[in-house]
Amino acid sequence: MVSRLLLMGGHEFDRLDGNEVLCDLILELAGTASPRVCLLPTASGDPDDQISRFRRSFGSRGAEATDLSLFRLGDSPVDLETYFLAQDVIYIGGGSLLNLVAVWGAHGIFELLREALEAGVLVCGQSAGAMCWFERGITTSSGTPVMADGLGLLPGSLCVHYHRDPERRATFLTEIAAGAPSGYGADDQTALLFEDGEVTRAVSARAGAGIWKVTGGQDGKATELSLEVEDIGRSEVSSGPASSIDDFRELNRWRTGPGIGRGR
Amino acid sequence: MKTQRQIVAFGGGGFSMESGNPLLDDFTCSLTGEARPRICFLPTASGDADHYIVRFYNAFRDTAFPSHISLFRRERGVGNIRDHLLDQDLIYVGGGSVVNMLAVWRAHGIDDILHEAWERGIVLCGLSAGSLCWFEHAFTGYQNETSLVTGLGMLPFGNSVHFEHGSDRHRQFEKYLSGVKGEEAPAGEGRTVGFGVTDGAALHFTGTELAQVVASRPEARAYRIDDRSGKIRTTQIATRHLGSPAHVPLVAPPSYAWSVPSALAV
Repeated sequence: MVSRLLLMGGHEFDRLDGNEVLCDLILELAGTASPRVCLLPTASGDPDDQISRFRRSFGSRGAEATDLSLFRLGDSPVDLETYFLAQDVIYIGGGSLLNLVAVWGAHGIFELLREALEAGVLVCGQSAGAMCWFERGITTSSGTPVMADGLGLLPGSLCVHYHRDPERRATFLTEIAAGAPSGYGADDQTALLFEDGEVTRAVSARAGAGIWKVTGGQDGKATELSLEVEDIGRSEVSSGPASSIDDFRELNRWRTGPGIGRGR
Repeated sequence: MKTQRQIVAFGGGGFSMESGNPLLDDFTCSLTGEARPRICFLPTASGDADHYIVRFYNAFRDTAFPSHISLFRRERGVGNIRDHLLDQDLIYVGGGSVVNMLAVWRAHGIDDILHEAWERGIVLCGLSAGSLCWFEHAFTGYQNETSLVTGLGMLPFGNSVHFEHGSDRHRQFEKYLSGVKGEEAPAGEGRTVGFGVTDGAALHFTGTELAQVVASRPEARAYRIDDRSGKIRTTQIATRHLGSPAHVPLVAPPSYAWSVPSALAV
C-alpha cells in the first residue's frame, strides 16, 4: 500500500476560507462512500468543542466520525491498534507540538499510526498535527516560537500558519539560515500530499495562500521558493472579508485565553 | 520562613468531587499559614479542560488568590512558569490521566520545578492523578490494565487512590508492592511500601513522614501497606474527621466528568 499523509498549514472545522474545500478533499482522497474518519485531538488536550466541531463537519458530509481522546482512555478503553486500522482517515488536530509528542510517546501512538499508514489509512494533520511528521517544526508550545523536534517520519522541517504568524516565519527563516534542516512554509488552508514520503500534490484552498520551499543558502541566508500550487478553492468562498476572519480570531482568543475568572 | 516540606494527597475529594464540602480544601489551605493563600491550579491531567478550570476559580476566588497554568496554551498564559509556581503558597493538581500529565510535565520541565517548590515549603496537593504524582509508584487502572507508573518520587511509596479495601484492585496493588523498597514502618512492622486512600480521605505528609490522615466525610478511610519480611499486610490508619458539614454526595472524579458543558464554550 502507498502510505499517504495530507499535511495542512492550518485548517479549522468551520465554514471560513476554504476550510470546507479541504474537508471535501480529505473525503475525496479517502475514496469510499461513507469513510470512517477519526480525530486525534491530543495536541490541544482533547477539548470538547474541537471534537464536536469535527463531528459536525465530517458527520454532515456522510462520514462516520469518531474521536480518540487519550485523556479519557481510562473511562472508555479501546484497543488502539484495532481502532486505528479500522479507519479510512485519521485526522491529527493542532495545538501543542511539545505535548503531542510527549503524550503520544507515553502511549506508543507513533508506532501505531505508522502501521496504519502502511496499511493504507490516509493520515491528515493540521498545524502541530502536520509538523509532528517532520524532523522539526516551529512551535509556540513554550510561549514564543521555537524550533522543536517532531517524530521525523518525513525528512526536513515544516512551519505552519506561515504568513498569518510573522514571528513563526521569522524564527523559521533564522533557524534554516543557521543550519536547521530545510523544509516547507505553509499558509493556512494549504496542504501537501506525501505519497511514500514524496510530495505528489500541493494545494491551496484560499486565494493568496501558498507554500514555500525554504532552504539554507551558502551565504548563510534562507531562501524561499514559492511552490506551484493547485488552486482547489471555490470562488464563492475563497478570500472572505478580512473582518470576518478577524472576528473569528478574536472569538478564538476570547474562548481560549487566560484569565478565566479574573473579570475579563 | 516556610521550610517545612508538605504534601496533601487526597484519595479523592475537594472542589473537584465534593462541591459544597470544602473541608479537605480548607484544611490544605490552612497548612500554608496564610489567611488568603496564593494557589496555582495545574489542570494538566484533564488536558486543561475549561470547565474544570472554571470550577477551580469558583471554589477559591473568595478565599484565596487563585491562578492556573495551561500547558496546552502557553502562548496565552503565564509567562515564566517557574517564577509563577515558586511564588505560590499552594500548588493544587487536578485529576485525569496521570500518564499524560507526567509526560507533559516532563516535556515542560514542571517535574523539576515542583521538586524545587516542595523543598522551598510550598504546599503541594491534589486528588486522583494529582495525588498519585507525588509518589514514587503511582498505581493506575489505565485502559483497564493496572500498572505502577513512576511518579515524581517525593514520597518513596506506592499510592492507590479511589481505593476500595478488599477489591481486586487492592489485591493487584499489594502484588505490585511486593517489589517496592519503601521506608521503615512503625516499630516492628517492617517497611511501609504503599498507601491506599478512599474518596474523602487525605494523607498529610511532612517531609516523607505521614503526619496525619484527615477526612471530609465519616466513611472515608486510609490504609498503610507494609512489607513484613516479604509478607504484604494492609492496615487501616486512624483518620481525623475534619468536621460535620451537611452531607453532600460525591460526584465522579474529573476524568469522568467530561460531559459537563464548558462554561466558556461558545
